Parts: sequence; structure tokens; C-alpha cells
Amino acid sequence: MPVEDPQEHDPFADRFARALHQAGAGFETHRDLAAAGEARGRGLVLRRRAAVLAGAAAVACAGVGGVLLLPGDGGADDRRSVAAATAGPSPAAGEDGGITAREMIRTLRNLLPEGRISKERGVGTDREPLMPYAQVVHDDGAGGGAIAVSLQRVEPGSREAREATTCPDRTFVPYDACRTTELADGSLLMIFQGYEHPDRRTDTKWWAAELVTPEGRRVSVSEWNAEAQKDAPVTRPEPPLSVEELKELATAPVWRPMVDVLRERQRPGPDASPSPESSAPAEALPPAGAPDERMRKTFVSLLPDGLEVKKHGGQASDHAYLVVDDGEGASMVQVDVQADMSGAERQLFGADAETLPDGTKVVRRQGPGEKGGRDVVMWTVDTIRPDGMRVVISAFNSGAQHTAATREAPALTMGQLREIATSPEWRDLL
Amino acid sequence: MRSGRARNDYTEFVTARAGHLFRSACLLTGGDTHLAEDLVQETLGRLYVKWGRVSRAGNPAAYAQTVLHRTFLAHWRRRRSKERATDLLPDLADPYGVDSATRLALVDALGRLPAKDRAVLVLRYWEDRSIQETAEVMNTSPAAVRTRCVRALGRLRALIGEDLHEYAAS
Repeated sequence: MPVEDPQEHDPFADRFARALHQAGAGFETHRDLAAAGEARGRGLVLRRRAAVLAGAAAVACAGVGGVLLLPGDGGADDRRSVAAATAGPSPAAGEDGGITAREMIRTLRNLLPEGRISKERGVGTDREPLMPYAQVVHDDGAGGGAIAVSLQRVEPGSREAREATTCPDRTFVPYDACRTTELADGSLLMIFQGYEHPDRRTDTKWWAAELVTPEGRRVSVSEWNAEAQKDAPVTRPEPPLSVEELKELATAPVWRPMVDVLRERQRPGPDASPSPESSAPAEALPPAGAPDERMRKTFVSLLPDGLEVKKHGGQASDHAYLVVDDGEGASMVQVDVQADMSGAERQLFGADAETLPDGTKVVRRQGPGEKGGRDVVMWTVDTIRPDGMRVVISAFNSGAQHTAATREAPALTMGQLREIATSPEWRDLL
Repeated sequence: MRSGRARNDYTEFVTARAGHLFRSACLLTGGDTHLAEDLVQETLGRLYVKWGRVSRAGNPAAYAQTVLHRTFLAHWRRRRSKERATDLLPDLADPYGVDSATRLALVDALGRLPAKDRAVLVLRYWEDRSIQETAEVMNTSPAAVRTRCVRALGRLRALIGEDLHEYAAS
């Protein structure tokens, strides 16, 4: 039996609508939600950065909140050396056994060398996913630089644990230096020295340390030679902590019991993993464990004849790229397959979208590359199936986005990209 | 957030929209203003991350509302075992001099509805979204939205009855 439109035919609904508008208008807040929201966004970016670096993009996508912003500059009188701080008592437990944002900030402050601390912010364990973090600006007199640390539990021996300490693929992330070493206790430590913007359009340097212990404790430290990771002027030639200090900060024993708090608080069962709708519309997660090897094979199998695959890679289970050559020069082609992006459909597939007989929507875009490579063009075919599965494929006239063009146009035509993107083969990966 | 201009655009947008998002969140949460603030911060944080694409795609206001509703529903799903009918007095200003007790009754009644009922009612009657748009935000079918809307209005009518009539008429 069809149900009539309640708004059109129910006088009660009309009264309710008027009443609701009056009731809603009565709510006021005195908090600066805009600033607090931006702070939370910056925290999300930080986490995503850590996850992308580690090749574990899914970690950063779920909801995050509760950023604590502390006023004032804090002063420099209570700075202690790393050695002194690590000998102190564990600050891990908050009142409910968790870690508070203040404790994260305090622990970070205590581990930093002499200097003026300001712009403190942090997140505790009162939010999911459990990934407490703290960020401060540290100024040793030569200019302030942002320093951030985040804690996380990873499954020992898992791909995530392995990728966290694997230097990134230079195809995506050019850098000055990156090295992974095994410590005496079996921990792996990666020290990364790169740039905030891969195309180096600013001089902001981004250095990071990633530590994963055999027990699955993960400590991520980032620092910049600016007071914020983006949109802040460079204040000094290099980030405030030397490579050695960065290593000391990441390996400070004080973090380890704090990460163990995360293990104790991680609950088994369905609540332990974010539900599909706990992510924003444009952030639907692929199913866990989608093997990127299968994805790459599917990708290669769908290529038109006459292309030689010179290189392949992928940073996540929902992403793969190939560098192909038809004899005219290298051309990178990348693909993303996402399980349910229906929430972003209206934003991504507007009036210019073509709708195929099976309901798939297709949008084509041709424009400049996004990573600053000279004369690089990016050709994209974006598709979404009626059930929300999205396949987006982009091709470049260069072997990487941030390097100069090696040929006039990508090695695949828009038609060929469209054929790949609309292939039924992708469905089998989900 | 790649450029200063984008950041300015973002700041301008959220400054203009945060109040409305907060009011929407208050209705969704049945007057729990603390939870509402948290939901709005979460929404604006996610918007910050996606701002470049969202602003290019147009209509960031609708996008933000979508994120808010989904954040609310996800929160409810995680917390539903603990959720109770609200017995807190909502933090209501009374700028129009309308009877706050009646307004409280309405907000309180909203708080007693299932979360999805609240989401449907707020989208349809506060956001003035069409049935189709409401279905898209809630990842469901238009038919399911119609059905839920009728039922939610029925539950609301049972909870507040003629009070709503008097309130709306005032």
C-alpha cells in the first residue's frame, strides 16, 4: 500500500514544521565551534598523514574528536631532558584509566629539550578510534616549529605494522632521506625527512619518526620547520628536533605503557571496528583485507594492448597504480575502488554526469596535475554504480605526478580509461 | 587545506554555518547541547579535511548537513545501548518570548523518538529536504523515508498531542 507524502497531506506535519523552526531557533552556543571544528580537522589531517605515510589509509578515516586546545604559551621553566623524563613515573592513567588530552600534551612537553612551548593541543582516549595525540609549537630560540606525536595499537606482524615502518614509495612521496632500522628490542624505527608539499612549492620540511615494537605499540612523531604543518611561514631551516632527538622522542619508554592503555581499552566485538556510517560520506572504507595484489592484477588485465607495465605499486588496499609505456614515454595510471560512496554521489556526480543503461554514472575530467609536475596533465574518469561502488581512474603524461611531463598526453585515451573504470571486474574485488 | 584562500573560504563558511548546524544538532540530540557541540565539531573537522573537493563540487552547506546527520546516526549506533530518553533540561534561549515550557515539551518529545525518526523529521521539517534528498542522506529508499516519516509523526503526536497545536498557534 503506498504511503502518502506526510508533508503534503498532514496538517499536524505543518504545525510540527512551524513549531520545530521556533524550537530550533532557540538554541544558542557560546563556544567557538568554527575554531574547534578547524582544530579537529587539523587533527584528522595529522592522523591521515600518518596513515598515508604508513600505507594504512583506513586507520585515519573513522571519526575523531575531542581536540583539547590550551590557551597560553606555557613557558619554559619545566622543560626536562629526554633522559630525565623517561625515568619519571608513568603518566598513562587518567581518572577512568584512559589517557587524557592534557596527559598527552604534558608527556610530550616533558620529553622536549629546552625551549618555549606554545599552541598546545591534544586528543585523549575518550574518542574513537583510539589514537591519542598531542601537538605543540617548540621554540628553542631559533624559531618555532610544530611537533606532534600520536599513539596507536597495531596488530603485531600485520601488514599495517609492517607498512608503518616501510619508507614510502618515491613515486608518491619524494623525500631527502628515509631509513628503517631494527632496534635492540626488535622494534622497527623509520626516520623520514621530507617535505610538507611533495612538489616543494613551499620550503616547509616535514620530518617523522615511526616506531613499531614487536608487541604492536606504534608511536608516530612528526615535526615541521614552521609553527603549523600548512599555511604557516617557515621559521627556521630545519624542524626543531635533530634526527637523533626525533629518535629519542619516539623511543622514549614513557610512551609504551600509554600505548598499552589502548590495548586494555580496545573492546572486542562489532564495536571495535568503525561502522560504515561512522565515516564521512566521502570516506567509505574498503572491506578489511581486500588484497591489493588482486587489485593490481585486475588493473593490469584491463589495460589495452600495446602497453608495457614498467612499474607498479599501491599504498592501500583500495588503491593501485601502474607506470606504463607505449613506446612514447612513461605514463602513470592510478585507480581507486571504494565500496560505498553513495553519500558523496551528489557532490561528485552533478548534472554533467553521463548515466549508463545499468545506472552507473560517469564523469570525465581533463586538467592539470595536482602535484606540481611541470606541464603534467591529469585525465580522470570517475564512475559510481547504483549501489555506491566508485571506481575512479586517472592517467598522467608523466611517470609520476610531481615530475615534469615526459610526453604530450597520457598513454591511455579517455575512452580507454572509461572502459577500464566501468569494467565489471572491479566488483569481484569487493 | 592547501592554500590561504581555501582556508579563508572554509573559515567564512563555517563561521556562517556553525550556528545553523548547532541548532540542527540540538534538535537531533533532543536538546543535548553538549553532544550537539561535539557533533558539530566533528562535522566541521571532516569538512576541513575535504574542503577543497567539497567547495569545488558546490553546495557545501548541504554536504555539511549530510555529514552532521551521518555523524549523529553513527554516534547513536555506537551508543544506543546507553541511550535513554533525555531528562536533561535543554539549554534553550527564548529570543521570541514564546513559552519555553512548550518548546521544552517539543524538544523533549523529539529526544524520546528513535534516532532515525529524529533524523527524518529534522531533515524533512527543519532542513526542508525533499523525500528523495532525505533518502540519499540516510542511505535508504524514498519509500522507507515516507514510512518512517508517517510513523515518526504519529509517535510525536502521541507524545505531545495538543501541546504542539497550542505551541504552533502561539
